[in-house]
Amino acid sequence: MKTKTESKRQAIIQAAAEVFREVGFERASMSDIRERIGGSKATLYNYFPSKEKLFFEVMHQAKELELEAITGELDADADDLKRELVHFGQRFMTVLYSAEAIAVRRLAIAESRHSDIGKLSFEQATVPIEKQVAEFLRKAMKRGTIRTADSKIAAIHLLSLLESELLQRVLLGVIDTVKPEALSGAVRRAVDVFLSGYERF
Amino acid sequence: MSKSDSKRQAILENAYRLFRAQGFDGTSMADITSQVGGSKATLYSHFPSKEELFVECMMAALENYMSDTLKHLDASRSDPQAALRNFGTSVLNFICSPEQVEVRRLMIAEAARSGTGKLFFDKITALRSHVSSFLAECMASGMLRRDDPDLAADHLGALLEAEILEPLLLHVREAAPDEQETALAARRAVAAFLRPYAPAVPPTKAAAGADAHVRRVHPNER
Repeated sequence: MKTKTESKRQAIIQAAAEVFREVGFERASMSDIRERIGGSKATLYNYFPSKEKLFFEVMHQAKELELEAITGELDADADDLKRELVHFGQRFMTVLYSAEAIAVRRLAIAESRHSDIGKLSFEQATVPIEKQVAEFLRKAMKRGTIRTADSKIAAIHLLSLLESELLQRVLLGVIDTVKPEALSGAVRRAVDVFLSGYERF
Repeated sequence: MSKSDSKRQAILENAYRLFRAQGFDGTSMADITSQVGGSKATLYSHFPSKEELFVECMMAALENYMSDTLKHLDASRSDPQAALRNFGTSVLNFICSPEQVEVRRLMIAEAARSGTGKLFFDKITALRSHVSSFLAECMASGMLRRDDPDLAADHLGALLEAEILEPLLLHVREAAPDEQETALAARRAVAAFLRPYAPAVPPTKAAAGADAHVRRVHPNER
């Protein structure tokens, strides 16, 4: 048997991501994916024993990219809290509302009935981001920049407000692609509302 | 009602009862046929798939529910906080029920392939426009500060769903929340909503946030 290579593995993941996005998880077949990359079906199965495993991997990579792009940059010591939150919101929304990320999110929801995919997505993406934002807000509360409240709930409220104008429309396919100005407008409005709810009176 | 319409109605009623009792996965088209009577071919002539039948059932449920829940908004216009809390709890009880979570999951799953997601969105939009008019009235009477009522309705809706819906959609939790949990989530959401939309804003802050008051046109909806 040939040795497995990382570049081949990545090529498979890339091809699979395209196929899943185009026809959806259920209608995608391992043959479709194999056709796109060439080689034998045995080779493909040697890398990924099932379509589910392959989907997991596609999703996992997408989520990892998301996390890398979003986390780490929130600076609790920044002077301008609003600017910090707008920047964060912009990154968060840009990553989450790419065509790729939306397709993955749809699949995670669709497949959660039959597998752990939904749970995995929640634990690897939603929870870490919520925690990071909560920690940031907790520090801002401690510094007195915003009023003291349950930082976890505040984080969940902020994230929901950021998505409030777009989530349903995008997940339900009413909007195909989100225009940059719609996205940045939604972020600005959400941060305004969040901060005026949490500012100190 | 024609014979065909009454058959369709009978299918919908029986299917809805079975879906509620046994869930989407636990209900087969054969189960539904045996309840309604007639042949499987007749069933399929009305609804080409179990998914479509399910969606139809849940849309009908959504419409019945809407007329009930909107009464919360009509009831107490003098006390928007109480009205919104009751309304919010009622919304959460409904959308977090197992069959409504399931229908939303199906709609999202199918969104890329068919137009049913848009149909569902239209229903949600109808509900939201009632909420917008309620908020617009509150703004007009000075109980809320003036802003785009559609935007305010989006913000309220997102805050209501914030704590509970995603874990349910992703099967991170199975059990639907009880009344106590939905009431608590609704109370927190309404509090988070009313603070920024409260009318009393100190003058300096009002000036700083003036651009937030400009009416918004959704760039994707022009």
